[in-house]
Order: sequence, then structure tokens, then C-alpha cells
Amino acid sequence: MLRHELKSIQACARPTYAASHAPNPTRLPRTFARGGSGQSQISQASSTRCRNAANSPPKSFGSARSFTSSTARSKMGSGKTVEEVRSRNRSGPFSLTSAVIFVAAGAGMYMYFTYEKERMYRKRIAEDTKGVGRPKVGGPFELVDQDGMPFTSEDMKGKYSLVYFGFSHCPDICPDELDKMAIMYDTVTKRCGKVLLPIMITCDPARDTPAVLKEYLKEFHPEFIGLTGDYEEIKKTCKEYRVYFSTPPNVKPGQDYLVDHSIYFYLMDPDGDFVEAIGRNFTAADAAQLIGDHITDWTGSLNKKDRWA
Amino acid sequence: MGWLPWGSSDDKSAPKKTKDGAFEAPNKTNRTKCYEARDAFFECLDRNQILDSINSRAGQVATQQVCGPEDQVFEKSCAHSWVEYFKKQRVVNYQKEQMVKKIEAEGGNIQPPHLSTRS
Repeated sequence: MLRHELKSIQACARPTYAASHAPNPTRLPRTFARGGSGQSQISQASSTRCRNAANSPPKSFGSARSFTSSTARSKMGSGKTVEEVRSRNRSGPFSLTSAVIFVAAGAGMYMYFTYEKERMYRKRIAEDTKGVGRPKVGGPFELVDQDGMPFTSEDMKGKYSLVYFGFSHCPDICPDELDKMAIMYDTVTKRCGKVLLPIMITCDPARDTPAVLKEYLKEFHPEFIGLTGDYEEIKKTCKEYRVYFSTPPNVKPGQDYLVDHSIYFYLMDPDGDFVEAIGRNFTAADAAQLIGDHITDWTGSLNKKDRWA
Repeated sequence: MGWLPWGSSDDKSAPKKTKDGAFEAPNKTNRTKCYEARDAFFECLDRNQILDSINSRAGQVATQQVCGPEDQVFEKSCAHSWVEYFKKQRVVNYQKEQMVKKIEAEGGNIQPPHLSTRS
């Protein structure tokens, strides 16, 4: 009697363990199955699942048990002797399995919280610039691209944009930064699809005509969009993006001069709102990671089509 | 190479005009050529312990005496505004380096500056 009660309790208390760790079930005596109906009163003290098992007629055990998937348990668990149960109890609730599950759960939680923390940080940065009373970077503009086609701030909607201000007669920083921009663009496109517009807006509209920009940008990346316009429109756009602008208004054709300007990449979201400025201290890989993360965070719709499609 | 050594009409480094009449920007080849000429010129200045080749009269004279040919190649390979920019940048970079060394020697921390830079 006592032996059977112990067995049925154990079969209920450690179903997972019994199912996966019991020794070869075929070598064990099938006491549980044999004594099934005779011990039903005792087993009633156990859980419903066990009572059902104990009440079932012995013949139907293997085939008719549709209420649980642990077929092997009833066969194996039944073979345990008192010694085995005692040794199990001595070792307490600690086992290799529970240790592994504990560590895995801990590591999982840690990774999840780290990820969430980073995501919330990015979200804060992205949303800091939205709403009332926030510094406004960016705004409406009407410029033309390197093919002479009109390009306005509306054309940026639906995709993320990486906006860089420069000029084609720039000695060393702009070419370096545009090379970085090409790597960033390729990396992000690989990860997220065609959801980023790489835009270079000139600060030097007098020299940077659409044709000049076309020649200049094709060496960096065929997908780059170069924007130019008249002096006033460029000046206005630079002001909206808080870009320091020092281009002289009246220059003669062929005049040789340099332009002072701020050197940041401006990441704009699909609503046209400013997300983050990426400075020269970022490597191309770091910047691409950051942009890709922001894009992954975006819950709104993203236009993955080609620009003019 | 033109027919005449001083002829510049068919010099490949001269800026071409695009179809809308503006001058083409220096392309990658032009830029590489310019950077090489700059590096050769700076090496000459290093050999002769000259830091400043533009801001002071003394520096200009000393440069012409020892690095005249390199300077001419430099001027020929780059736009004049670039030559000025690189010469001044050499001085600024040196001063920046010295400043960083000084601060580090005093045990201070350096924050990367977030300033607009001439480019």
C-alpha cells in the first residue's frame, strides 16, 4: 500500500524528470500498471491527473491515454523502489536540469533587459525631438537633385534620411565623410532594406550645379542624392538644419574659395522629424549600427520601394 | 602631357566644365594626386624642421629656400584654396597635438570636441 502511494505521488510530482531521466523502462517491473484498479482509493488522494491514470483499466493504458503526452511515465515511474525515492529526496530540489534552466532564465532576462534598456534609450533620443518645445532641426525645403528634378522635404517622408551638408570643392573632410556615408548606407540597406535616403545638400550652390554634383557623387555611391538650389533656398535649408553657413553670396564663376560648414550627419525619421546627429567621432560601422537600430525600432510604416517607384 | 611644358590647355588636372557651365569638382584621381603632393611637401618641411610655411614671412622664405620645388608641385596639383588650407591645417594640427600632450601630462581628461571645423 505505502509503496504504491509513494509511487503515484512521485509520478505526479516529477513528471518531467521521470519522463526524461528514468532508466530504461523496459527493464522495470510494471507494478503500477498491474495494480491499477486495486489501488484507486489511495491514488485518489493525489492529483486528478494521477487519479485518472490509476483508475484507468490496465489494458487501455498504452493506447487510450489522450489526456497527456507523457506515455512513458506510467511505465517507468512505477518501477522506482523506496531506495530510489529516498535518494531522490536526499538530493533535494536541486538537479543539473534545474540549474541549467535557472542560469538560462537568468541570462535570458539579463539580455532582454539590456536590449530593452538600449531600445528605450534610443526611443528617448528619437522622441526628445518630437512635440512642443523641442529644438527643431530640419524643415521644409524645395531644392533640385543632381538630375535637375525637383526634390522637396516631402520626398523624404516614408523613409529614413541621412542628411549631410558639404560641398564638392571640399579638400579632405567631405570626401572622407561621404566615403563613410557610402559604407553606412550599404550596411543599413543590407540589414533593413531600401529604407534610407542618403542625401548630400550642398552649402555652395554657386559652384555645385546639378551636373557638378552628379559627377562628384557618382564616385562615392550611385544611390546618393545630391541637392542644390538657389542661394536663398540653400541658406534657408542650412538654417533649418542648424548648419553653420558661411558661403559668400556673390562669387564669380571659377573663383576659388572654401566654405565653412558644420559636419554632422542628420538622421531624419519617416515623418521628417530629426532623430539624432552623428558626428565625426562615429566610425562608419558604429553609425550604421545606430541607424539600423533606430530603423528597427520604428513601428510606423516604411516605404521600401525605390525612390521614384 | 602637352606639347609645351608650360602649356596648361590640355593639362588633365585643369578643371573641366560641365554641361551647365560650372567647373567640375576635383574627382578622386585629382584628390589623390593633391594629397600625394601635399604629403611630399610636408615631408620636406619635416626634414627641414619647418612647421609654419604660410603664416609668417620668415616661414615663407625658409620654405622657398629648401622646399621650393615641392611647394610648386603642391600648388600645381591642388586648388590654391586647398594649398592654403592644408598649410594652415598643419600648424593647427601640430598645436592641437601639443595641447593634447600637455593636458595628458597633467593628468587631465580630454573630451572630443563637438565643433564645426573648416572642411
